[in-house]
Amino acid sequence: MVRWLNSTLGRGIGFFIVLELMLVPAVLYWPDFSKHIGKFRALAPLPVMRGIIDTLETGGAFAYVTGQHFFKGCNTLGVAAAVLLSVGAIAGEAHRGTLEIFLARPISRARLLTERYVEGALAVCLPVFLSTLTIPALLEHIGEKLTYGPLLWSALHTNLLLLAIYSLGFFLSTLSRTPLAIAFGLLFFTILQFALYLVERVTHWSLFRLTDVERFLEIQKRGGLDPKYWLPLAGVSLALYIASLRAFARRTP
Amino acid sequence: MLEAAAGKIVVRGLTRRFGSKLALAPTDLDVGPGGVTGLLGPNGSGKTTLMRMLIGLTKPDAGAATVDGAALEGDGLGIRRRCAYAPGEIALYGELSGAQQLEFLLRGRDRDAHARAQSYAQRFELPLERRVHAYSHGMKRQLLFAAALAPQVRVRILDEPSEGLDPTKRGVLVELLREDAARGTTILLSSHHLGEVDRVCQRFVFIHGGKVIANESAESTAARARRLLRVAYAPHDTLAQALARAAGELAPHVRSARVRDAELLVELADDDPRGVLERLARFDGLGAPTALEFGRASLQELYRDLYGVEAC
Repeated sequence: MVRWLNSTLGRGIGFFIVLELMLVPAVLYWPDFSKHIGKFRALAPLPVMRGIIDTLETGGAFAYVTGQHFFKGCNTLGVAAAVLLSVGAIAGEAHRGTLEIFLARPISRARLLTERYVEGALAVCLPVFLSTLTIPALLEHIGEKLTYGPLLWSALHTNLLLLAIYSLGFFLSTLSRTPLAIAFGLLFFTILQFALYLVERVTHWSLFRLTDVERFLEIQKRGGLDPKYWLPLAGVSLALYIASLRAFARRTP
Repeated sequence: MLEAAAGKIVVRGLTRRFGSKLALAPTDLDVGPGGVTGLLGPNGSGKTTLMRMLIGLTKPDAGAATVDGAALEGDGLGIRRRCAYAPGEIALYGELSGAQQLEFLLRGRDRDAHARAQSYAQRFELPLERRVHAYSHGMKRQLLFAAALAPQVRVRILDEPSEGLDPTKRGVLVELLREDAARGTTILLSSHHLGEVDRVCQRFVFIHGGKVIANESAESTAARARRLLRVAYAPHDTLAQALARAAGELAPHVRSARVRDAELLVELADDDPRGVLERLARFDGLGAPTALEFGRASLQELYRDLYGVEAC
């Protein structure tokens, strides 16, 4: 556990640092962006992109920051972290042949699996929360002010999507012994989802519609999460976790 | 309901298939309490499958088992708490030091297990401060063995604990196994090193093609080895028929008689081969024996001669 925790902790810290490195210049760039937003709209090659810029203009600093941090940062880096932290959890042990010594100890399989699941999930979700906490302080440097509430609700909403992707990777990991194949499969799937998002006719089929700027503006307006979105996302994660437990109970080294 | 005695391994009808391959045919087995039992058989014979099933690593398709009174149920946690296991596969975390690897392997064990494992590792002269990726194959095996020997349990299941060890380290392992057995521990070990098994085991279980083909005490095996007669003849056109006829006619007077190439393999009913040799001398078509061996069969030869399968 120490070994796994060390590597998971290391990856979690790495994820936080990269997320923060993307966030800081993006937030500090807001005054220039808002000043030249018309030029950006003119440069946008796709109607969907122009739509995003329109939303940023009407939504102000909150729309811009959530767009930069959650829609861009977390949907790319976060998804990558969710995939990388999940696929090796069990398949990695099988791949390197250590699954036998992992399972042969006097610890129940349910406990072993739950520990792995929770450690990885925390490494994906905590950096999103922690980096979100730095946003109001960063905004103060450029004379903007946002409260923590809507930002943290947005972070929770983003984390629910990341957790669902993490849970899918984790479930596949309990079935497989080739983590690389699962990672490539899931990353291909997410790239496809981004591609769908950018095409106007099919954009509504994209998973990332769940975590785009419009959704965060709704959260801000509502002052909390919409059960229409958070319940299915949480349900998917829970179902995949239970499926992982069942698959792992039958797993042979 | 299985007998669930302390320090015993009881197996009834344990079966496992992997796809269309029968890894273990319905198997009954009683081991202990106490003593060292050798599980012998060629690669793929079902030894590892049986051992993994006993500690809940592989789910059986049918059958039941108890280890030290704990029934094989659920994920086998009850059994894993009561017995120690050394896996046959050598795959460790290379980035950990030997001491950290021991800590990993001994998670969930009694508090003193780590100190005991370290003292066993010292008997093997293992550099515990070094990272495992710098360990040789044999050193990794010794580390796994030290971890399996450390928990205070009544049963140990060891899958090929001596594989990859040099003769000196194999000697240390045998010594440690004897010390552990002397404390009353029941040890079930699989091995391809028949010489070492011969030195340490009180009972042998031969397994082949997923089936237990023999289960006998060391004394009984030694007695059989003493009664094994091998007579070789010069090959000629009708030798095969003559040997088959001779084996058939000898069968009522001996425990078993079988033909292998130009040899007749006979397990006598007693320790005196003279009667059988006189009968063979009277047979037409055999000719004079070119070689004769009696009472000197090693465990490996006995295994091959009696069961027609190679131990390794």
